[in-house]
Amino acid sequence: MFASKRLSKELLKLQDKLPPGITLVKADNFEEWQMDIRVMDDNPLYKDEVYRLKFSFSQSYPIEAPEVTFLRTPTTPIPWHPHVYSNGIICLDLLDRQGWSPVHNVESICVSLQSMLTSNTKKERPPGDENFVRYNTQRPRDISFVFHDNQV
Amino acid sequence: MSTMSSPEPIPPPNDRRSSRASSSAGLPVNNSLSVATEPSDLLVRRKSRLSKIPPDVHLLEYTSPPDSNLVCLICHSAFDRPVQLACQHYFCRECLVHALAAQHIEHKTCPTCRRSIDPEREPLPIPKIIETMLDELVVRCPNTKSGCDWVDQRANVHDHVMLYCEYTQVECPNHECRLAISQKDFHKGCLHYTVSCEHCHTAMMKRDLEVGCVVSVSSISCPHCAADLLRLDLKAHVKDICPKVVVPCQGAVVGCTLRAERTEVVEHERACPMATMAPHFREQQARIERSEARLEPLARKVGILEDGLSNITNMLYPANGDHSSFPVTNPLDPNNSDAFPPAPLMPTPDFRLPPASFPPVPPSNDQSQTPFTNPTQPPFDSQVHHLLTLHDTLRDEVSRIANALTDVEGRTNMMILNENQRVKDEMLHTNAAINSMRMQLHWLMSATLQQRNSAASRATGGSTSASGSGSGTQGASSSLGARGSGTLHAPIRRLSDSTRQDVKL
Ligand SMILES: [Zn+2]
Ligand SMILES: [Zn+2]
Ligand SMILES: [Zn+2]
Ligand SMILES: [Zn+2]
Ligand SMILES: [Zn+2]
Ligand SMILES: [Zn+2]
Ligand SMILES: [Zn+2]
Repeated sequence: MFASKRLSKELLKLQDKLPPGITLVKADNFEEWQMDIRVMDDNPLYKDEVYRLKFSFSQSYPIEAPEVTFLRTPTTPIPWHPHVYSNGIICLDLLDRQGWSPVHNVESICVSLQSMLTSNTKKERPPGDENFVRYNTQRPRDISFVFHDNQV
Repeated sequence: MSTMSSPEPIPPPNDRRSSRASSSAGLPVNNSLSVATEPSDLLVRRKSRLSKIPPDVHLLEYTSPPDSNLVCLICHSAFDRPVQLACQHYFCRECLVHALAAQHIEHKTCPTCRRSIDPEREPLPIPKIIETMLDELVVRCPNTKSGCDWVDQRANVHDHVMLYCEYTQVECPNHECRLAISQKDFHKGCLHYTVSCEHCHTAMMKRDLEVGCVVSVSSISCPHCAADLLRLDLKAHVKDICPKVVVPCQGAVVGCTLRAERTEVVEHERACPMATMAPHFREQQARIERSEARLEPLARKVGILEDGLSNITNMLYPANGDHSSFPVTNPLDPNNSDAFPPAPLMPTPDFRLPPASFPPVPPSNDQSQTPFTNPTQPPFDSQVHHLLTLHDTLRDEVSRIANALTDVEGRTNMMILNENQRVKDEMLHTNAAINSMRMQLHWLMSATLQQRNSAASRATGGSTSASGSGSGTQGASSSLGARGSGTLHAPIRRLSDSTRQDVKL
């Protein structure tokens, strides 16, 4: 109830106006939305690429953080970043249980991820990516990430 | 429930605005509290109505998007009863409660800036001006979709929905039916039964039928002019608009016989004198009908009056016109006590009646002098006067009888009272006598019993010495004693019972 009220308001706003580089792809219900983001500057790592984000909302959104992952599709790869696993799972304190605040919203998450990519220069995956991708069965928000650096 | 206390006093009960819109910083959001602060007359009226759901402030639709400074960052709607944190961040009370409930139990932080919150003094009340701005936001009625076009300040929406809105859903008037129904249809009774639609013959709920079914709003072409219409409007179209349907000339009421398609008829009516006359004619007709309708009760009234009059006349003038029997005394004269015999007697010649016909009418030329100059007239100015005096006499009679009745009643009452008193006294005497008899009887009984007891104890004493066994005799004597007391009590009880019955009788 709480979630759908708030999401319908957000959706109205998203359909109306969005920051540059962010587009709404799919929002048919109040459980899962998809957004596309582009990096706006000339960072060679991300130039000319579009990344798709999948948002999953629980009933208690925005009190509880949404689950946000990158989605691999024929047209959208998973971006290189030391906090983004190759299966699309993102390790960002904003999306963590402790780091989340209900004043964040879909748009602000997109903007944060955009700037996270913009400031990155390393073409690498988080340490242990291969193992994590192979063995992880947990849902992203149940994983307790160790934030190995705070420069993002 | 949060650990924060409520530092601000509850708003005064008659301040409707603040009780609804905002403030009172205490965090524990308690709906019963906010209800209790509403004016009591509102509360009573609401209770007398059927249970309605109050409007959800978060779902209100604003005529223009509210200022972004008035929007809660958690729910993204204009603040509902906002509170403030020390860091100047505002949230709806409820939103903040939800947000803080999800945080660590010991360490609460501002959802916006993460500054930690002091539960002792936060949240703070908000400035009055913000409350006012929120109250003045213009919203639409939550029942807009059902048809309400109310638009007003947000402060009034609660009252509108709870008291005035025709479209608010209430419980169906039928108590066995638990469905909801619009307030405006409440008087129609339960509409939750299925009926068959006249347009599409599908079964649907009566309530939905009032709005119209899918088929009724589907299009159809007119069988006469082939115009495209909603099925719903077809009847009205054929009746009043369709240019091809055959209708009679307006003048038909006056005698025009033309019948043709509507367009032709309209053309014809411009020239037809009868059609131009028709409206006036119809108006006249209506007026005549109205007059006739009014006439009928009048006629009935006249009939009744005539009947009454003839009754009176018959009463006044029994068949023979015996002038000599007419009373010569004036019944109004108080000195004429003979005119009023005592009440219980039958009416006397006093009430004998004037002549059966009106006084003979003399030739018309001196008609005006008739009542006064005719020496043979009875001492009454007119028939009416006579009736009036009769009436007065009768009234006096009645009041005298009434007085006599009161008198008699008083005397009877007195008599009954005296009689009662006497009976009561007698009863007291009898009671006393019975009591003394009872005492005597009791005394006699106990004397007899004592005698018998002493005889018995003498007998057991004898047996004890004979048998010599202590325990056995004790048991025997005690059982005997018990039997003795039993026999002693029973008759007394029966005796007292019977005396009581005597007293009652
Ligand atoms: Zn809010
Ligand atoms: Zn703050
Ligand atoms: Zn309304
Ligand atoms: Zn019903
Ligand atoms: Zn129908
Ligand atoms: Zn037609
Ligand atoms: Zn005509």
